[in-house]
Amino acid sequence: MPGILVTLVIVLPWLGAMAVWVARNERPQLQHTFAVGFSVLTAITSLMLLKFASSEPAIHLALGKAFGDLTFVPDGLAVSLTSIAAVVGSLAVIFSVDYMRGDQQLGRYYFLVLFFIGAMTGLLLSGNLLFTFFFWEITALCSYGLISFYNDDPKAVAAGIKALIITQVGGVGLLVGTLIAFTNLGSFQISDLLAKATSLPATALSLIAFSFLIAAAAKSAQFPFHVWLPDAMEAPTPVSALIHAATMVNAGIYLLARFYPAFESVPAWKTSVLMVGLISALIASLSALIATDLKRVLAYSTVSQLGYMVYAIGAGGVVASQFHLLSHAVFKALLFLAAGSVIHSVGTRDLRRMGRLGTRMPFVRNVFIVGSLALVGVPILNGFWSKELILEVGLEHSPIWAYALMLIGAGLTAFYTYRMVWLVFFGKERDYLNVHPAGPAMKVSLGLLAAGTFVTWLFFGGLNGLLASTLPFHGIEHESLRGMVASIIAAPTTWFALLIVAVGFGISWLRARGFALFGGGWLNPFVESSFGFEFLNRLFVKGTYQVAEWLSLTQTGELNWNILGIVSALLVVLIALWLGA
Amino acid sequence: MNLLNFTGLITIPLISSPIVYLAGRLGTREATLHGRSYLVRVLAFLAVLAAWMPFIISVQTLLRSGAQEFNISTIRLHVDGISLLMAGCVLMLGTLVILFSGSYMSGEVGEEKYYAMLLAMMGLMIGLVSAGDLFNLWVWFEGMAVSSYLLVAFYREQAASLEAGMKYLVQSATGSVLVLIGIAMVLAQTGTLDMAAIAEAISGPSVNRFAMLGAGALFLIGFGVKVALVPLHTWLPDAHSQAPSGISAMLSGVVIEIGLIAMLRALAVLTGFALSWGILLMAFGALNILYGNLLALRQTVVKRLLAYSSLSHIGYILIGIGIALYSGVSLGAQGAFFHLFNHMLMKGLAFLAVGALMYGMLLKNGSHASLKINDLAGVAQRYPIVALALSIALLALGGMPPLAGFMSKWQIFVAGFQTQNTWIIILMIFMALNSVLSLGYYAPLVNIMYREQPSQQVLIGKPVTWTITLALVLMTLLVIVLGFAPGLMDWITIPASQRLIQLFGY
Amino acid sequence: MFTPLNIILFGVIALLGVGFYGLLITRNLIKVVLVLQILIKAVILALILAGKMSGNLGLGQSTAATVIVADTIVAVVGLALGVQVRRRFGTLDVPKISTLRG
Repeated sequence: MPGILVTLVIVLPWLGAMAVWVARNERPQLQHTFAVGFSVLTAITSLMLLKFASSEPAIHLALGKAFGDLTFVPDGLAVSLTSIAAVVGSLAVIFSVDYMRGDQQLGRYYFLVLFFIGAMTGLLLSGNLLFTFFFWEITALCSYGLISFYNDDPKAVAAGIKALIITQVGGVGLLVGTLIAFTNLGSFQISDLLAKATSLPATALSLIAFSFLIAAAAKSAQFPFHVWLPDAMEAPTPVSALIHAATMVNAGIYLLARFYPAFESVPAWKTSVLMVGLISALIASLSALIATDLKRVLAYSTVSQLGYMVYAIGAGGVVASQFHLLSHAVFKALLFLAAGSVIHSVGTRDLRRMGRLGTRMPFVRNVFIVGSLALVGVPILNGFWSKELILEVGLEHSPIWAYALMLIGAGLTAFYTYRMVWLVFFGKERDYLNVHPAGPAMKVSLGLLAAGTFVTWLFFGGLNGLLASTLPFHGIEHESLRGMVASIIAAPTTWFALLIVAVGFGISWLRARGFALFGGGWLNPFVESSFGFEFLNRLFVKGTYQVAEWLSLTQTGELNWNILGIVSALLVVLIALWLGA
Repeated sequence: MNLLNFTGLITIPLISSPIVYLAGRLGTREATLHGRSYLVRVLAFLAVLAAWMPFIISVQTLLRSGAQEFNISTIRLHVDGISLLMAGCVLMLGTLVILFSGSYMSGEVGEEKYYAMLLAMMGLMIGLVSAGDLFNLWVWFEGMAVSSYLLVAFYREQAASLEAGMKYLVQSATGSVLVLIGIAMVLAQTGTLDMAAIAEAISGPSVNRFAMLGAGALFLIGFGVKVALVPLHTWLPDAHSQAPSGISAMLSGVVIEIGLIAMLRALAVLTGFALSWGILLMAFGALNILYGNLLALRQTVVKRLLAYSSLSHIGYILIGIGIALYSGVSLGAQGAFFHLFNHMLMKGLAFLAVGALMYGMLLKNGSHASLKINDLAGVAQRYPIVALALSIALLALGGMPPLAGFMSKWQIFVAGFQTQNTWIIILMIFMALNSVLSLGYYAPLVNIMYREQPSQQVLIGKPVTWTITLALVLMTLLVIVLGFAPGLMDWITIPASQRLIQLFGY
Repeated sequence: MFTPLNIILFGVIALLGVGFYGLLITRNLIKVVLVLQILIKAVILALILAGKMSGNLGLGQSTAATVIVADTIVAVVGLALGVQVRRRFGTLDVPKISTLRG
């Protein structure tokens, strides 16, 4: 049974992709139907798979020497993330029915989205590192195709290629790590790497650990690879919700969580992970403070929240990070989709041109506020429990200054979130064209996600149980929901955090009232250049083109020069051979 | 029986070449063919289909009984895994190109010469891979080169085409001269030109080791002109972009690779230096990959971009073979041969798809201009199947799963890492980063095709015929299938790679 | 020192030198084809020399004969292309016909 479910959860979305392509752009209603149908089926299948979680491979096929055995292991980590991906995926597809209505290239859109969902589930369920890499690359391909979906816009195309190249460079990290592991262990199986990690030579293990960290950081847009995510907001908003908030960027977190037991003994690895998360969380929060594009604020917020998850793993809290991942997927998808409604109806992404939309779009305003409260970490919503859990883990296992900075980050989160909500839904009224309320399909998705933010934290017990019982190498202790709630309410850190959040809200509220406190103008140059990394990025790109220009001078087109090339090559080879012999 | 089978593979294309030419020529005085062109096309296609039969029989014999040797008086034919892999590549691409060219070349001046030369080139290439004698190798090589000169310079009215053909001729002839000097040196030292006999005699005492290294260098550079090693590659961008699209596909897809096989056969007889050749091939490979990628970034003409991309892919193949020669493990060569086959498919598909677009947008409107990247804008609206085929080809070339290019590159990576040699591992990382870099010029092409604003060329584009579409669809399917099931090619790449290792003395 | 074999060897090397020098310097397309022919002649001589030196003169002579035939074909093709180039470009000056660059 688990084998069939695993196959279905990967193959169903791919069948859907083919169905949408076959239906052709002349029949958009059929395409919408197929897309929604297949994605919902996938979601249901993934939820059914939760029942069958185990650490045993569900599928096992031998493929030959260079490719290892194809295995899919539906353990707790894999199936929980798969459910998130599939469910949020189906909600994003449902949302797209309204958002993408009337688009000329609907077939390509749905094909890429469905193909992506299948690849993502494959990535999570794969027990063979080669196939993890295989699906990893496919998700990068789909992400690129969707970011640059609006091909006529050069910004979108540039953003897509930037995302592709940066995440692919990370992919090289995954490739290198996989192959070093294979060379030393003779197997691509993840379970083998986890079991025999300590038997690997120290340099090999370190190389694998840091290569995987590079891959994870690039995929999850963490420092220093964070520059692609804000630009990726050129994608249609349901795509931003699905790929760049709820699923693909989680792949890096997944990688770190999956291999944590193998790498925790590598010197400086945990600290590096901690630092990467910390720095990402902070610089992203600062950038969100002054961003003027609604989706960019959300993008920075995503980087920041992912930073929290990475930080949690660095401190040893794998469960905490996965719990926050669940909460984040729900509330961030909610925020993005709600933002999508706003953008779709108003026609701009610029915060400075929005205002007082709350009166015209009450439903969207309400769900957006729910999502924002969850993001900030207000009790009872899911974000509160998971963020507090992370902070608690951080206090216990990370240096106190790191904890303090993360706490400040929570305050910053409150600050920029309030600002965002204020600028969009309250504040000054502006003149704009028609503002229409959200369509029915949009409302369905938004409503379900908003309900989710109130409810998903209740699954903590189940999640913890899944992880503890199906991940043999992680050493996770069983903890019940009640235990978690009790420990959070009892911990003084929780109240600290709430205090900082209140301070953050307060500052933002005061600023909205006109008191210019803690102005962010001085931050502008830092954020524009992504704290120096955009500069590096551009340097690299320009540098490559410059070298290409210089090299093209060698292609003179003149016969004499060409012959010179032949003769000199001969001389060089002769000399090399003579020296070597 | 066996001899006849295999030689059938060579003779059928060679004999049908003049027959096709005569069929097109007899009795007509005008420069163009009028009604004869249909006959010419059909004959050419039938000829190449007929050649498949001896091929299949030869493959069965090989798998059953291993490598075969035939002697026709003093000419020795040597059929092993490598021969049949290359013969298969030549036949497959040749069939598809002839199918494609039916429409593409219709109405061109000298159409019968095109098919005649193409068939001759195919026959000569298959002959080359079965040569058992060093000089014989050179003769087939030279024949292949001459037929390709004529095919590159096919558009006699185009100045650029002639320029490309002329430069190609001079450089290729220089290479041939170098090879002959090397052959002379080998003859002087060993007194024989038979490959097996030379391999034995080399280890003897009367042979000057330095002279043999010198001969090896000459072979490397001489054949290297044809293989487009950097800096011997300068003819390639011009030739591959100016030739008719079917020939561009053949050149990038098989001619360069056959040159590589000729080089390997020649180097193999100089036993005892496998390590040196391995290192040199890896060095050239690295240079090719980087140079090809960087220059492709700057191109505005689509076919020229694809030509530079061929340089890169030859680099991957060279590295794979270099690893195998250096370490004595056949996995690297297996990956290289698999990549060779895949590259034939992917690059062939790319050139044929671009050719289809040129056919619809340029040729049908009477223009022989080159296709620029900006002309590709919005192509997907008018030519959805061609655009999809080209996208799949480009993404496969960039090494994206689930397409064929990823799987073959993966095998080379595995081989490289398994050597546990720090320099080779660094080379592998270099190769992986370059593969990422190549996406920087493949991806924008895919993007441009799916724009909503079509270019001027697209607006006046005419439809593409079913023969062209069929050829494209077949190749696309193969590219996708091999990406999911890479093991499908193991039956030929494993014997070929093991044979290569054996030839070099491991 | 000046044995017949050595003289021929020097001759081969001299011809090769002239040939490669010519290839590097010549600006006229027909001269390029001519220079290629010089190189071919050097190689033919080398093959016969090699045959003699190794004792297998018959092999040397037969390969030399085949090369003569093969490279005549190359020369013919080269000259034919040269004629066409002259027609389209109006000149045989190599730099003037090098329009494809980069």
